[in-house]
Amino acid sequence: MATNPMHQFQVYRIGPEINLGNINLSFTNASLFMAISSITILFLLFIGTKKKLLVPSKIQLITEMSYMFIAKMISDTAGSNAKPFFPFIFTLFMFVLFCNMIGMLPYSFTVTSHIIVTFALAALIFVGVTILGFIKHGIKYLELFVPKGVPIVLLPLIIVIEIISYLSRPVSLSVRLFANMMAGHTMLKVFGGFVISLGLLGGWLPLSFSVALTGLEILVAFLQAYVFAILTCIYLNDALNLHH
Amino acid sequence: MKDLKKISTRLEIAKQKIKKNSPNSKGGNTSNLGNALKISTELVAAVVVGSTIGFLLDNWFGTKPMLIICFFIMGVSAGILNVFRSAKRMNKNYKE
Repeated sequence: MATNPMHQFQVYRIGPEINLGNINLSFTNASLFMAISSITILFLLFIGTKKKLLVPSKIQLITEMSYMFIAKMISDTAGSNAKPFFPFIFTLFMFVLFCNMIGMLPYSFTVTSHIIVTFALAALIFVGVTILGFIKHGIKYLELFVPKGVPIVLLPLIIVIEIISYLSRPVSLSVRLFANMMAGHTMLKVFGGFVISLGLLGGWLPLSFSVALTGLEILVAFLQAYVFAILTCIYLNDALNLHH
Repeated sequence: MKDLKKISTRLEIAKQKIKKNSPNSKGGNTSNLGNALKISTELVAAVVVGSTIGFLLDNWFGTKPMLIICFFIMGVSAGILNVFRSAKRMNKNYKE
């Protein structure tokens, strides 16, 4: 059981089975870890902002740094127009980051290693940004698909290519996060399996690899959350300030 | 008054130190790795989306191999366009 590297991604039901019509709404281990990461974020931010010290404590420092990090990222990539979307991007970043990081703990479950989770997040962003663009610019938002200075003969081809490029956004956004998390965790598990099977004599080499890979995975976990958030900012920028 | 002057000189020195250190101390290192991971999937995603659209349209119109070939090629061009755009964006960020 434990030697199968894909076993860690199994979703199973915790508690009673709940069915709503044809939809299975049971509480699974995935929902449990989503709840855990949300509660951890809320708890951290609550503790961090409770005492407003002039010389910040460590937790307050973490909270303020995460705020500054996202605020700077939004103002750098999407401009001051995107200020009202700060809560959304902050929530998104913290959720993805904590899901990734909590997945790094032994015996835990990585929520973001399932494509349905990441695709749901990406589809939410994609649909939201598209609606926002239409609200902001009306029918002129379709100008996004028509680059300036293209000869009329080429226009039908270019428009199709632009539409494919636009539709590929949620796919690349979700596949990137899912593939990175799943590949990393599978690799860790495979190297862990090597340690067991090579035993006391030869197990040291894969063990050292395993330690190094854990460090790399923590970097990737942070980086993927960062990329997810920054790409959301870039798409938001396209919708708010219509130009290429 | 004297204290205030002292503070302002110290502030000036600190600011200069930050300026001196900023090109060397790269926060850019991690974001470069992020860019590398970003670009690789962008190319693939557009090809997948293009081929899927071609496949669906083929099933719909019953023109089995033609549209999927066309849309595959267009997906490849869309992928290259995506990569080109993010490279341009990176270049702009780098210059600033």
